[in-house]
Amino acid sequence: MKKFNFHVKPIGLLDMLHFKQMVPRRRAMLQSGSLDPITSVYAVNRLAQSMHPKRQKAVVSAIIPRRDANTYVLKADKLAYFRAGQYVSVKLTIGDAVTARPYTLAASPARALEGEYEITVKRAQDGFVSDYILNNWEVGTEVTLSGPEGPFSYEPIRDEKEVVGLAGGSGITPFMAMARAILDGTEDFRLTLLYGSRTKADILYADELAAICAATDKVKVVHVLSEEEAEGFEHGFIGAELISKYAPGTYTLYICGPRAMHDFLAGELDRLGLDQKHIRREFVPAPASPAYFKAYTGDASRVYRLTVLALGEERTVPLRADEPVLTAIERAGIAAPSRCRSGECGWCRSRLVSGQVFIPDSMDGRRLADAGAGYIHPCSSWALSDLTLEIFPE
Amino acid sequence: MDRQYDIIVIGAGNGGLSAAASACSRGFKTLLIEQHNLPGGFATSFRRGRFEFEPALHELCDVGEPDAREEVGALIDSYGAKVDWVQVPEAYRLIITGEGEEKVDAVMPFGKQAYIDKMEEYVPGSRESMEKFFYLADCIMAANAAVAAAGGQADPKVMMKEHPDFLKCANYPTAVVLRKLKMPLKAQKILSAYWCYMGVNTEDLEFGFYAAMLHKYIVNAAYIPRLRSHELSVAMDRTIREHGGTILYNTLATKILMADGVPVGVETTHGTFHARHIISDISPNAIFGDMMDGGKDLPEAQIRAVNARKIGARGYCCYIGLNRSAEELGVHEYSYFISEFSDNVKEQELSGTFREHPLQATICLNHAIPDCSPPGTCIMSFTTFFTKDIWAGVTEREYTAKKREVALKMIRDFEKATGTRIEPYIEEIEIASPATLARYAMVPQGAMYAYSCGEGDGLMARLQMLAEDQRVKNIRFASGYGPRLYGYSSTYMGGDMAVKLTMADMKEERYEKV
Repeated sequence: MKKFNFHVKPIGLLDMLHFKQMVPRRRAMLQSGSLDPITSVYAVNRLAQSMHPKRQKAVVSAIIPRRDANTYVLKADKLAYFRAGQYVSVKLTIGDAVTARPYTLAASPARALEGEYEITVKRAQDGFVSDYILNNWEVGTEVTLSGPEGPFSYEPIRDEKEVVGLAGGSGITPFMAMARAILDGTEDFRLTLLYGSRTKADILYADELAAICAATDKVKVVHVLSEEEAEGFEHGFIGAELISKYAPGTYTLYICGPRAMHDFLAGELDRLGLDQKHIRREFVPAPASPAYFKAYTGDASRVYRLTVLALGEERTVPLRADEPVLTAIERAGIAAPSRCRSGECGWCRSRLVSGQVFIPDSMDGRRLADAGAGYIHPCSSWALSDLTLEIFPE
Repeated sequence: MDRQYDIIVIGAGNGGLSAAASACSRGFKTLLIEQHNLPGGFATSFRRGRFEFEPALHELCDVGEPDAREEVGALIDSYGAKVDWVQVPEAYRLIITGEGEEKVDAVMPFGKQAYIDKMEEYVPGSRESMEKFFYLADCIMAANAAVAAAGGQADPKVMMKEHPDFLKCANYPTAVVLRKLKMPLKAQKILSAYWCYMGVNTEDLEFGFYAAMLHKYIVNAAYIPRLRSHELSVAMDRTIREHGGTILYNTLATKILMADGVPVGVETTHGTFHARHIISDISPNAIFGDMMDGGKDLPEAQIRAVNARKIGARGYCCYIGLNRSAEELGVHEYSYFISEFSDNVKEQELSGTFREHPLQATICLNHAIPDCSPPGTCIMSFTTFFTKDIWAGVTEREYTAKKREVALKMIRDFEKATGTRIEPYIEEIEIASPATLARYAMVPQGAMYAYSCGEGDGLMARLQMLAEDQRVKNIRFASGYGPRLYGYSSTYMGGDMAVKLTMADMKEERYEKV
């Protein structure tokens, strides 16, 4: 390039006046402000706070008993709106332990605007928390919840207009919210629900589902019983054959149920030839033992030592190899953040200072840079040695 | 834990991370407080399904190659943070789509000569004005360097003698200078494409700032961290700890404790911490308002000065993971600017409404990082902004539908402008509205660009008034609300600058004691 001629004055006609005026102009602007109280919280900030509160308090206002389960209606003056399919993390202190569990909001989001949520708690095998809730919560019990969380919600830009829901056991709850939201017009899609239960008597929400199906042709329910044969019910496990039998032409599959159901379905879904785009899975909580995962090479019977660093304090507590690291922290009564408890949401993100952990690929929801820099999600990590972990209490 | 520090930094966004790293590497006992559970603020990442998304960064100018670092790259290196920087492939593609508009569809390269040549190809006869533009940009870079070398307070006589062209052009609006250079209109449109990175139209945006920014992008090229912005933020977190700094996550600063007009501590959700020097990576609205009882004990001039500032563009971004490769989709560029009108005054005005064709800055990440998503997939993001607080009127019930509506408009506009088909291949989608920014970063009105740099509140005016803006001693701003303005480069430099200013504050305190 020819060197630009520096003698040319490209802006000969502009002068320095503007430059000289710069400070007086801004000074005048700054003096023009009001004397109103200063704030950073505007309407949009309040909208955000309202939709995503850090904590919510509610009171159990009604209990609907079900087989091995209770439905709890929770009331408060104000509860955050949500998307059908989302959950709240219920915070609990049980004995010396401080813990939390995610429960899907089963009522329509429209009810939240009236200060009402609903969750259903099913008695789990060795269910430390479900036992506690079922044995202790009564009308009037005050409960502490997170804001609504989770991406297991219908998204019209991404999903087909037809949804096939596969539910197992208490995995019915997100579909209850969806079906109710379809019924009251909050959501607009068609839902064909294949709902697997052991026997007729084990079906949760049987009457409510029947009522919704009677009131709208947008929701269809097929009950699938694994341990009972009955007229008008499918028998066996939900698999490719049943899905093909009831599914419309093009659809998005939503799956929520126990880990065994997901495992069984994995092979079945291959046979259906669906795109990954068309399969939405709700998070699956950690199994009872890491030995569940083929890749696990540790000794699940060991008990290690966990040194927890938090806010400059340090505590060493026992660490069972067969439980997620998060459980050891909570057992010791140390309040650690958590939401989904399935490795996905990242709320429990902590810094592994030393030691080795096992993280199954299917539960590794960490950010790439975190994985490289030694951060773990203790809800989905199992100890392979003594550990030192820095947590970030809320 | 320790409750006494030399410096407390509030907010671990880019500015706060930079300030904390700068402070503790200079030996100050430093506490960094962050309300969220991870560092970075907007400089983070998030996962959905088999994709990890970049929430904010399109391109960071001023990094440079490892053996020839530019300002920001050198600063980050000097902190000891290890980041795997990837150069983005081309500067941008600009498409103007509006009815009755002269069609513009230009792909602009990095490199001064290549940029000028390409412009001449699109706009014959533009070369002379483009060369003059880069001459002025060079003048501005030289003047900025001189001002920086003089510690921000350059001698006016020297400036008049050595940098007359800078003084003549820098504070005029960009468009005025471009017209003065007799730049053909179409070339002006193409050259002004980056205006939306500032959210201020070129009839308002000061030339000195715009020319320097464009110069940095075009001459130095631009970079992103390989593992999204979270890689940068995690690297900074690490370097701060290695230098002895303390970081508290999930910790919300709630009150600034003052005594005799200077800060003495910060109340937080995890107790009170003491320090006589505070560096804020958050807004003056939060510091002087929410953390000081609305500012009731502050000098009137300070209350007026905060309330007079104009909140900048409020951010909106739709992120999608696609189950087709960029190649299969026909998405050929890394960075697109698509707008309805070439008149950015009109664009800025319309961006204060829920308009039919939102302006968009769109990225296909795989063109910079081919393996950022699994084979046969790609990641795109569609960013726009709102120049007025129009999300304020959206109710909880309307909110999700409103978010979707804007996303769909942008995706469909992109498809139309580029002749591609995107929508059927969306495997994951997440949408961040101003309320989302308000949620995660607690920024007023969901502002992504802090205080607007338009209407006379530009970089040069802020720097010139540095001393007089300091009405409350010992509180300095590292964020985009501070003297260096917004954007990754600005806030990284701003964080370091805030520490240097704090050191001057410390010196003054010692002097006063004597």
